[in-house]
Amino acid sequence: MERKVSFHLYIGAFLISLIVFLTGVFVGTLLDTANVQRISGDITHVSERLYSVQLLILMEANSSSFCPVYLSELSSIDQDVENFGYQLTYLEEEKGIQDDELKKQYFVLEAQSYLLSKKVQGLCGDDSVLLIHFYSNKNCSDCRQQGEEILKARDALPDTNVKLFSFDGDMGSPIAEALMNQYRIREYPSIVINGKKYSGYRTSEQIQKLMSEAE
Amino acid sequence: MDFITFLDYAIAFFSLFVLNVFILLFLRYRKSYLKPPEKTDWEPVISVIIPAHNEEKHIKDCVKSIFATVYPKEKLDVMVVDDGSSDNTYAIAKSFGKKVRVFKKKQGGKGAALNFGLEKAKGELVATMDADSYLTEDTIKELVPYFTDPDVMAVTPSIKIRASDSWLKEFQRVEYLMILFSRKLLSFIDSVPVTPGPFSMFRTKVFDEVGKFDENNLVEDIEIALRIQSHHYKIRSSMRAGVYTDPPDKFGKLLRQRVRWQRGGIRNYWDYKFLIKPEYGDFGVYFVPLNFAALTAFFILLALLAHSIFTTPYYVRYIWAEAFGMGIGLFTFIGAFVLIFSTFFLYLSVKSFREEHVKLRYLLSFIVFYWYLMVCYNLLFIAQELKKEKYKW
Repeated sequence: MERKVSFHLYIGAFLISLIVFLTGVFVGTLLDTANVQRISGDITHVSERLYSVQLLILMEANSSSFCPVYLSELSSIDQDVENFGYQLTYLEEEKGIQDDELKKQYFVLEAQSYLLSKKVQGLCGDDSVLLIHFYSNKNCSDCRQQGEEILKARDALPDTNVKLFSFDGDMGSPIAEALMNQYRIREYPSIVINGKKYSGYRTSEQIQKLMSEAE
Repeated sequence: MDFITFLDYAIAFFSLFVLNVFILLFLRYRKSYLKPPEKTDWEPVISVIIPAHNEEKHIKDCVKSIFATVYPKEKLDVMVVDDGSSDNTYAIAKSFGKKVRVFKKKQGGKGAALNFGLEKAKGELVATMDADSYLTEDTIKELVPYFTDPDVMAVTPSIKIRASDSWLKEFQRVEYLMILFSRKLLSFIDSVPVTPGPFSMFRTKVFDEVGKFDENNLVEDIEIALRIQSHHYKIRSSMRAGVYTDPPDKFGKLLRQRVRWQRGGIRNYWDYKFLIKPEYGDFGVYFVPLNFAALTAFFILLALLAHSIFTTPYYVRYIWAEAFGMGIGLFTFIGAFVLIFSTFFLYLSVKSFREEHVKLRYLLSFIVFYWYLMVCYNLLFIAQELKKEKYKW
């Protein structure tokens, strides 16, 4: 028999596949944009909550009678802020979406919530542990693992209220750089536990010990 | 774009493409794929060769079903080749008297038994049949007219499984219907890759031209089809000629069967890789390469899934709901497209057989579990090949 190649069939299948594929790329991009906007909106929303706590502290002129309000508000805010960080990292690592402006906006929020937590810690004498992790996405091979070790350490001490704050020091965020200057951070990774600096990589056990001491 | 992302894209596009080829084939031939071939008065003698090794349970019903088909009895030359049975197969076959020619030979495997039968075959057409398969009334009547085209050397019927309450059998039943539908569509681009062992019909002279069955093959029914294709002959496929067969009833048996099919299939395609040339038309340009591509794609996909599970970032457990939401994108879209259209394809497969009804729960469980069966037999396949395990039935 005479054999033939059904080019029209393959070209047709290729074109349909291409259309579906490109539609998928388009839908994916739309969804990615929507995600970035949602996170950005969430950050703004939490910023506003943070301002209202700040305002309350200012108006009450550092009286500790409102401490229960500060503490409950801040614990929820700090949790949200931490989660935003994970979401941004997820977008960056898994979806390849890097939005530097959003990240800077996030670091401002994170710094504010850190400073406020520190203030409330002094004011209300709460026994939470504030841990800052300074990392770099560019010049630090241990930083990913360091982040994991910190989470492990926190999970190992369920009775300790550990609040985490992470800053990328290499992406030109003025507020992250200001904090780094304040704690004289020279290398990555570095961690600061209740104001005390520890340079270099630490294992989960070492961090647990440092946190127990700080408490 | 990093390498992993590139692989993700490539696999997604490949799956889309393969699915779309089938969809387009269906759209192109949707009006003709169920039509019978043109009627003919031609009624040649047909030799039916039944190799049987310890088939005392089935052989009687099998032979009976042949004589129950609509075809002149005197033109049916039924031969049972007893391949070294130690049970009652021979006596039962003999009980049909003169209507059935029964031969006894030393056990030498299915291919050898078929070749033994071919030596003795009188018919212009010859059918190979498994002892645990049963013809329906129309089987032969539906198949013969395809041979009025002198280029047609083989025709495959619709090998089906009887409806039952066994989950495993219903699962395979759905799969068989899907395979039949796909094979019919492939026959329109001259790419039928197998003349199934349970029942297939050949023009007897094709064995003189291309040679007889390979006696040392795990899947001699694939090998002979590839050989017929390599001689540029046509293999046709009938949706209407029903043949029922007994599938494996235990998961272990099913798995062994599939590993055998997979090992035998891939080895045969490898031996016939010379067919990958434009002169072999769609078969050479699309279907043979597709087998290698699909196997490669399957293992890449498996590796990608494993990779994504093992590299799930540690922080995801804090934001799993958000991560799930953010994970929706291109691949979800393509996955949904493939899932919806392959489900539709499955639905069409079942609907094409008016007499076959499948319960919805079996259809759904097929969609869910088919992938896992493929994972099982493909992993065993690769393990056995890597261990260089002996290649045998």
